[in-house]
Amino acid sequence: MSQTLTPPAPRAAAPVHDDPEKRPITQASLNDDVLKLISPPGKIWWAAFIFDLAVLAVALGAVRNLIVHGWGVSGFFRPVMWAVDITNFVFWVGIAHCGTLVSAVLFLFRSHFRRAVYRVAEAMTVFGVLTAAMFPAIHTGRPWFDYWLFPYPNQRGIWTNVRSPLEWDVFAVNTYLTVSSIFFLVGLIPDVAAVRDRAKHPLMKFIYTLLSFGWTGANYQWKHFYGAYLFFAALATPLVFSVHSVVSWDFAMAQVPGWHSTLFAPYFVAGAIFSGVAMVINLLIPIRKAFKLEHIVTLDHMEKLAKLVLLTSTMVGYSYLTEFFMAWFGPNKAEADLFWFRATGYLWPAFWTMFSCNVIFPLLLWFKGFRRNMTAMFILCLFVNVGMWFERFVIIVTSLNRAFNPANWFHYTISITEIALIVGSFAWFFMFFLVFVRVLPAFSIAEIKETLPVPRRGNGGHR
Amino acid sequence: MIGTIQKLLFPPPPKFYGVMGIYYFVDDAAKAVTALRQAGHKRLQVFSPVPHHDIVAALDEGPSIVRWVTFVGGFLGCTGGFALCWYTIYTWPMVIGGKELFSIPPFTILGYESMILAAGLSNLLGMLALARLPEIRPAAPYDPRFQEDRIGIWVPCLPSESAPVEQAMRGHGAEEVQVHA
Repeated sequence: MSQTLTPPAPRAAAPVHDDPEKRPITQASLNDDVLKLISPPGKIWWAAFIFDLAVLAVALGAVRNLIVHGWGVSGFFRPVMWAVDITNFVFWVGIAHCGTLVSAVLFLFRSHFRRAVYRVAEAMTVFGVLTAAMFPAIHTGRPWFDYWLFPYPNQRGIWTNVRSPLEWDVFAVNTYLTVSSIFFLVGLIPDVAAVRDRAKHPLMKFIYTLLSFGWTGANYQWKHFYGAYLFFAALATPLVFSVHSVVSWDFAMAQVPGWHSTLFAPYFVAGAIFSGVAMVINLLIPIRKAFKLEHIVTLDHMEKLAKLVLLTSTMVGYSYLTEFFMAWFGPNKAEADLFWFRATGYLWPAFWTMFSCNVIFPLLLWFKGFRRNMTAMFILCLFVNVGMWFERFVIIVTSLNRAFNPANWFHYTISITEIALIVGSFAWFFMFFLVFVRVLPAFSIAEIKETLPVPRRGNGGHR
Repeated sequence: MIGTIQKLLFPPPPKFYGVMGIYYFVDDAAKAVTALRQAGHKRLQVFSPVPHHDIVAALDEGPSIVRWVTFVGGFLGCTGGFALCWYTIYTWPMVIGGKELFSIPPFTILGYESMILAAGLSNLLGMLALARLPEIRPAAPYDPRFQEDRIGIWVPCLPSESAPVEQAMRGHGAEEVQVHA
């Protein structure tokens, strides 16, 4: 046994390397690398944040008009009453799904690449659900009565209709918001303790002490922490699949052409993971570049995410083709007409944007060189998100404006208010995300440390 | 103001009696834990930035019982979800399309979601209770290095018993030993 090995000095300077991808990581340098994000923001951050708030203010003006003047100002008319509101809802719930997939499902499958990326994905989940939940809340028209959605004893003796898919949604989305928020906040506890130990301002130290629950890293804390974490993952995994299935049943339970299909649940879940992973890639690429974290979130990690995008793209493409096949093969004339209308009617640009962005462009991901080119990946994932927004738009708007009765058919055009809601939803999401990156550890220090070589005296200092 | 609130919520640590050994190498720490436990120090605590299998094995801890708290929460949540559906549908009976009031498929969805919600919340509460969080009064002296790359072994003992503990820690490669007497 080599008794002459000496441990490195505490807080030793981080090793350097010419290639940012290959910069070595030690347990102490990992703390430095991750916690450097939590520092007073610079001009670029402030510019982005102020711009974001300005956009959000415009969107809030649009929401104010909706509430004060009614839904007429948005251009929502029968029969296309769901239009952009529910499109945005489904889009953001879908975005939110990836976080739990990466953090819970991949945790159960012991996919170690998740450790470097899951915190960003989880934050995206929580902020995505917060964004999504706003839309049904606004869409009720009288948001101050939204508490009617919940079952509670009241003097009228009436209850919510528990057999309605819309009520299932209330349960599913709120359960998802609660469980994913708990999962996110519990995972943060050990890392926030590391932030607490370095905080200098008494107020910040106090806040981080509260958020870390006084974590010390004692053996009895780790034991129950990981005992519970496994169960959070086990509970969140079926939740990922159930929530978007329930969202899909908002549509599939209705008999509207283009909606009434048993394909919807798996189709929606695949689409949700597809858009969510694309959004994670869009968020990670600028962060790893701006904060020089290429050695923590490596090209290999990004490539694995890219493969997930490719896999789910093929599943989504298969679903699109199956829908068309079933419409053609089945006996329902209204269904066949609707699908023909989707591809060739006046909303054809939306359909073909969807199809190109979600099925054709992602074929580039078959090439390794493309998957490892971060600029190309960033652009492709932007297209994927545009495509996935249009997917929900196509499902909702084309079906509603071409249902069974031609007397009810309607020529839908998007209004300025609706555009403000779409842009505002992104501003709302990024407001949370910009703050998150600066105040909480955006990468899991504790979990990444578990992938580092364990210092051992008995094996020459290595694992 | 903040300092006052902080002192009220998180008072300064009490006076500790015992020995704290600080390690860098995991196998050293694991051997020290084994030796100290064999010497009768069963109440020792280990602090580390991540849990290590060697140390968990040396501590001979069983699995966390938080799973039972989660199970009870999930069971109650599932039962509660179905009960809510059953109660509300018969309190306000509304026949739609001639279908049964008590419809298992939609109730399963609410029962299932309620199960996950209650299990998640009970999992959280169980973890906090069992891990003694929030830890307002520290159970041992704390060192910020435990969040970076050092492992701490705390043996609570009387000042008269500290010498053999200190000797055992140094003998197993402790980088630093602090005697709190």
